[in-house]
Amino acid sequence: MTKIIQPNKQSNIFKRPSSETGIWSWITTVDHKRIGIMYGYAAFFFLLVGGIEALLLRIQLASPDNNFLSAAEYNAMFTMHGTTMIFLAIMPISAAFFNYLLPLQIGARDVAFPRLNALSFWIFIFGGVFLYSTFLFGTAGAPEGGYLAEEVSRLGSAPNGGWFGYQPNAGMKYSPGTAMDYWAIGLQILGIASLVSAFNFITTILNMRTKGMRFMRMPVFTWMTFAVSFLLAFSLPIIAIALFYVTFDRQFGTTFFLTEGGGDPILWQHLFWLFGHPEVYILILPAFGIVSEVLPTFSRKPLFGYPAIVFAGFGIAFIGFGVWAHHMFASAISPVAQAGFGLSTMVIAVPTGVKIFNWLGTIWGGKLSMKTPMLFSLGFIGMFLIGGLSGVTHAIVPADTQQTDTYYVVAHFHYVLFGGAMFGIFSGLYYWFPKVWGKMYNETLGKIHFWLMMIGFNLTFGPMHWLGLQGQVRRTWVYAEETNLAFWNLIVSIGAFIIALSILVFMANWIYSRRKGPEAGFDPWDARTIEWSIPSPTPVWNFSKAPEVKSLDDFWHMKYDEDEEGRPVKRDTTDALLLELEEEGLNPKEDIELPNPSYFPIILASGLPFLGYAVIYKSLPLAIVGVLLILIGSFGWGTEPLEEEFTEDTENE
Amino acid sequence: MSDSHSYPHEPTGVETRKLGMWVFLSTEILFFGTLITTFMIFKGRDFPGIKLSDVYDIPFTSVSSFVLLMSSLTMVLAHNALENGDQEKTRVWLLSTAMLGAVFLAGQIYEFTEFYHKGFVLSSNIFSSTFYVLTGFHGLHVFIGVVLLIALWSIGQRQNGLSLDGGMNLEFVALYWHFVDIVWIVLFTVVYLI
Amino acid sequence: MSVDHKPHPKPVQYVQIALVLGVLTAIEVALYYTEDVVGVFTDPLLIILAVGKFVIVVGWFMHLRFEDSLINKFFTGGMILALILFAIVMFERAAANFI
Repeated sequence: MTKIIQPNKQSNIFKRPSSETGIWSWITTVDHKRIGIMYGYAAFFFLLVGGIEALLLRIQLASPDNNFLSAAEYNAMFTMHGTTMIFLAIMPISAAFFNYLLPLQIGARDVAFPRLNALSFWIFIFGGVFLYSTFLFGTAGAPEGGYLAEEVSRLGSAPNGGWFGYQPNAGMKYSPGTAMDYWAIGLQILGIASLVSAFNFITTILNMRTKGMRFMRMPVFTWMTFAVSFLLAFSLPIIAIALFYVTFDRQFGTTFFLTEGGGDPILWQHLFWLFGHPEVYILILPAFGIVSEVLPTFSRKPLFGYPAIVFAGFGIAFIGFGVWAHHMFASAISPVAQAGFGLSTMVIAVPTGVKIFNWLGTIWGGKLSMKTPMLFSLGFIGMFLIGGLSGVTHAIVPADTQQTDTYYVVAHFHYVLFGGAMFGIFSGLYYWFPKVWGKMYNETLGKIHFWLMMIGFNLTFGPMHWLGLQGQVRRTWVYAEETNLAFWNLIVSIGAFIIALSILVFMANWIYSRRKGPEAGFDPWDARTIEWSIPSPTPVWNFSKAPEVKSLDDFWHMKYDEDEEGRPVKRDTTDALLLELEEEGLNPKEDIELPNPSYFPIILASGLPFLGYAVIYKSLPLAIVGVLLILIGSFGWGTEPLEEEFTEDTENE
Repeated sequence: MSDSHSYPHEPTGVETRKLGMWVFLSTEILFFGTLITTFMIFKGRDFPGIKLSDVYDIPFTSVSSFVLLMSSLTMVLAHNALENGDQEKTRVWLLSTAMLGAVFLAGQIYEFTEFYHKGFVLSSNIFSSTFYVLTGFHGLHVFIGVVLLIALWSIGQRQNGLSLDGGMNLEFVALYWHFVDIVWIVLFTVVYLI
Repeated sequence: MSVDHKPHPKPVQYVQIALVLGVLTAIEVALYYTEDVVGVFTDPLLIILAVGKFVIVVGWFMHLRFEDSLINKFFTGGMILALILFAIVMFERAAANFI
């Protein structure tokens, strides 16, 4: 009979949490699936907030000489839109996928360090809340005698120095008040969350793979998680230091970026982009992974050139560390650096191109099933390609000096980040929906979402290419009638609202299908990887017993053999096998050990915003509270064993 | 039959927590690398005002450096003692390491106070900014290390000693401590001597 | 389930290593004072000594010499990445400031 080990001993001052339902069970959970779900909902919430910020921007720019938003409010909106979408929406949604899927794809029970996993999530939540508390408590002043001398509204009292915080503009002299401190400290806190996740995933992929799961048998999504984790691990420390420098310059009188004290503003750009460029690969690689799972499933063909895709992914990650100064072509960097980075930026297009050809090779000759996940993955290929091509044009230094700070750049990165990363993410959300919830989403609504989004997206960002080349500058709250930019700006704004409509369709589908969707079964897509061989929704223990993997796409090969022409032929044993898997999946025969839930991750995480407020408001009491929470969290954690010790008696029960 | 026996562990052959610790330390290289690089970019620049070389005391710092180096020795002896099962010796060496670390920190605090009195303060200029933030972060890491060492020592006192697996582990604290030492090895040369 | 037993140096060997480290430190300090005599070789020598101490502590005290090559790769990889990236930044800033 199955026994799931429950915590039953007092291992610390407080009894270990033991509930399985209700809010406490979510607060103390260390289960990667629950953490993934929480990440997903939180990230989606921030996606909506970032989207509203974008809509406000677009209302302002829908007509020339507009004053819907003041200049101060506009600056705050574009800064928060970028910061939110990158750090609070896309990165956490990717984290949601990594968290939920990684252990399933490698056949594990959970990640290497489950409590650390929970810690990452709670730090993200507290970091996001801290950053957004700027709208309540923050102040965004204007430099003395500056252009924006008027009183700044609540909507404008947010970070306003751009998501990239260029110094000295975002320093205390030109951005007085506290808003940019909320930005610097908020990002610092969020960075810790991602860094901790990175160690966890690297260690998990190395050490928690099931029997037979050799590296070259891992799904591509797992490989991309691996690459992203390396990028995070090695780039986040750099921005952490850079953000400390910003905070110290603003709060403690240092002069890292202030020429008056001998500092160098370009240093900020180097340090920021040393992180910032790997960051954009962090944003796109998960989508590469998702698409590499969806295309083969919906083409009923194996991924074309699996080793090439894996190595190209790592090639992109590695070269991605060597292109950062292409964000600085228009700053005062030396010509040798410009030439070198222009070259490396062109080189990085090569492994990306390899992947695109391999994806095309995957669908070529396949039996295509045009369900919503497939539509989004195909859309991804097209939109990412366009974004990648405009990116290559940036690599040419003289051309880039024309494009810099215009809407052409805005077009480029939205094609790769929205048309690329978001489309990939939507593809994944639909694809794994049945696995997570055990129900199927509504296909018609899914298609409506896709087409509305395709149209809206291209209407919004397509015209930005020529608007930019015609001279519309970025980060500027208003444009004059005489510039003749009005017509296409209006189209762009209409497109933005069509995107918003498509998101509403998505949300309606999600809510409806979770409640009333038809039962999905554990392999609705006839898929290839082992997460589809267990029940839907995923049982809390994942696999009833450790799977033994014999090849790449192991689940597919269990179901199908190949005829002489390489076409899949269903085995005679398949139907019986599927029934057996289902029965076994729901009724494990062995005792199962699960990591115990814990209070301490959330306690530890809660100390960080206190430290943040303490720095901004120079409050010793707040600092003490923060340090105490961190100490209590750490010591509680350190003295709390993860698995209760087995005694001879319990083993023989 | 307990599940932990049938579920595969550690296909790499490296213990999971040890692997995690080394990955963490590899990232710390980037952390301190950034701090050191910033220091080196500005060192020697032609900018008016007080410099570190106006105020430092090489003999004093040399003694401090030696103290920290020796704490690595006591740390490794503590680990060695635990491997041989000698709980009491382990605690002695752990405490010695913590004390040497504390002496180092005291030396840093004394140095910084002297510099402060001589007018080399955090907000003086870029030279002081880079110096204090770099050595300050290192000092913070030493402080955290001392706290970890004392925590280990006190755990060793309360329960029936420390074990080589499970819970807060001496081997990983040792790795962290040595890392803090090697950062200083680089710092001492780059900041003071060159 | 105990820690894998790779070959460990014995305590007396650790003390010997510590003595070597002490001597290297003494040489470093001496170099600082004899800069006029040693001249242009001072800085390179100081760097070599620092690298030497670094390698000794990492290799023997942190045990990297005896560890799995996987761990070696992480640490060395991180070092190489850091060295390359920061060398580029320092070079670029130096070049830009020279103009």
